[in-house]
Amino acid sequence: MSLRFVFWGAFVALSGLAACKSSSSAKRAGTAEDPFVIGMSQCNLGEPWRVQMNEDIKRAAAGRPNLKLIYKDAQNDSLVQRSQVEELVQQGIDLLIISPKEAAPLTQPVAEAYDKGVPVIVLDRAVQGDKYSVFIGADNKKIGREAGKFAARILAGKGKIVELKGLMTSTPGQDRHAGFREGLELDKHPGLEVVFEADMQWLEPNARKEMESALATQKQIDLVYAHNDPGAHGAYLAAKEAGREKGMKFVAIDALPHEGVKYVQGGILDATFAYPTGGAEAIGVAEQLLSGKKMEKKMVLGTKLFTRENLGKGGEPIE
Amino acid sequence: MSRGGRLRASILRSPLARALAPLAIVLVLGMVFHQDGAFFAWDTHRAMLREISVHGMLACGMTLVIISGGIDLAVSSVLALAAVLFAWLTLGHGIAAIGAVPLVMAVGLAAGASSGLLVARFYIQPFVATLAVMVFARGLGKQLSGGRKIASAGELPEIFSLIDAKVLGGNLSVVTIVFAVCAVLTWLILSRLRLGRYLYAVGGNREAARLSGVPVRRVLLTVYALSGLFAAIAGICQAAQETHGDPETGMGYELDAIAMVVLGGTSLAGGRGSMQLTLIGALTLGYLQKILSLNAFSTEARLMLTGAIIVAAVIFQKRVAARDQGEEVGS
Repeated sequence: MSLRFVFWGAFVALSGLAACKSSSSAKRAGTAEDPFVIGMSQCNLGEPWRVQMNEDIKRAAAGRPNLKLIYKDAQNDSLVQRSQVEELVQQGIDLLIISPKEAAPLTQPVAEAYDKGVPVIVLDRAVQGDKYSVFIGADNKKIGREAGKFAARILAGKGKIVELKGLMTSTPGQDRHAGFREGLELDKHPGLEVVFEADMQWLEPNARKEMESALATQKQIDLVYAHNDPGAHGAYLAAKEAGREKGMKFVAIDALPHEGVKYVQGGILDATFAYPTGGAEAIGVAEQLLSGKKMEKKMVLGTKLFTRENLGKGGEPIE
Repeated sequence: MSRGGRLRASILRSPLARALAPLAIVLVLGMVFHQDGAFFAWDTHRAMLREISVHGMLACGMTLVIISGGIDLAVSSVLALAAVLFAWLTLGHGIAAIGAVPLVMAVGLAAGASSGLLVARFYIQPFVATLAVMVFARGLGKQLSGGRKIASAGELPEIFSLIDAKVLGGNLSVVTIVFAVCAVLTWLILSRLRLGRYLYAVGGNREAARLSGVPVRRVLLTVYALSGLFAAIAGICQAAQETHGDPETGMGYELDAIAMVVLGGTSLAGGRGSMQLTLIGALTLGYLQKILSLNAFSTEARLMLTGAIIVAAVIFQKRVAARDQGEEVGS
């Protein structure tokens, strides 16, 4: 019986302690001795692009001793991400950065954090409603359109195109596809033709497989457009194996420093369009919000075109 | 029974012939939907053989494990771990292939052996034991690579282009030869070595095998270790073909390997099956995917068709086998 008493006593004491801690957290000074605590909830660190996002955040925060970051990885599970957001708020963070897996299941926990007075920055994918501080993201459709325009331009309005799509059941896949077709302006360029298209589910081995089928069925291919860097790399390897890579252009999206940009540098890709992570921007916005400034609710990031010619200048920004 | 009927029955009695029927149907499909003759070009077949090679190497180990009455879910993760480790050694630290290849193979062997240890020594169900190793190996691969692809800063070492090359006048991929060597080794183990005989005995009835003096634990440990070894070889081939070590690579390959084994007619109950059957299963699955890809079917249709054809093939084999046994009892 006394043991039970000790247990409950400890429980009450601990919850009291926790309550004290979270109530005192609102008064952090934001100095090097007493830094602001930012919670970063990432939906899936299995994707290189998201690893890059965390990396961008880390790099931006490195020069700011007044910020301290806590990272969480939800491993591609909405419900895990939901409880991680709740944990962070429990811990008494000063600001939440979240890149949600899906809008619907994360709207509620984000709104709860926002209602408790924690500023929330939503990255890449949106949540529903308006209970967050700032949304930062890029426009896949716009980037796809730029890729389409670029393709039409370097082919001078005439050529046969292969499109290796990401997952067509995902919004980025749909937008990168629809935008590309808009950018090609097939009605204005009757010489352009998409002769083969297939889903490669964002995966390099699949892209190589599909490209082999394209090579087997198409005698002439002038340009390959892949929805991500690994897709274009896989296509290049297939074309190279068939000895047909020389006559082909390869265009991709994402431009990750370790992938697309490197492939452009190595002469494998002709161009890749950046899909910015917004990680660095988020830290900038976080600082503004923490100092009490009001910010625009939506921040749309532009893309950057990387080609062999402009690599030295760090790419060409397209607004 | 008519003479024709008896002849047909005796042909179908052979599991090999039963496995060949679905392959024949898939090949006929390819000849009908040949996409302006693309299906008849040797390059298409060479590409298909390259595409099934990595999965096929996993299926070699999977055949051994399934005959022993188990299953190995860890192969895809061991493949990824091997790919990352191989890239880390050769690209990251400039270690020569002669050192890196045996080292990676040893790690694969060890990963497989740890599954084997859990199954043989601690009596954990193979599904659970290999699930645990699958998760662990994936984590280890990610840890080693920092969640990123390990790629080369400059020129790729020679070993990469050596593995991802074609021989015999550009008519056969090197990885396909590696797969063939793995398949021959597996066939040798199953049909020529004492280990093979033990394996069928353990898969058929573990207790009976133990009582008749089969070293059950050692057999199981060896089988899972071999599966890990084949997965490591597959990982090296995967890294060479992708020109980097990707910690996310090979997700779901274990299911393809299982499908290849099952399509060949090897039963998941254990104690029966062979490498020849798995080879036919691999070709059936490979041709099916190639034909769907050549005809640019949508992903949705491909998934549904692949599922339907696996079920159809397995039902066909079961029915023929059942009828066959019924006749034997009756005659």
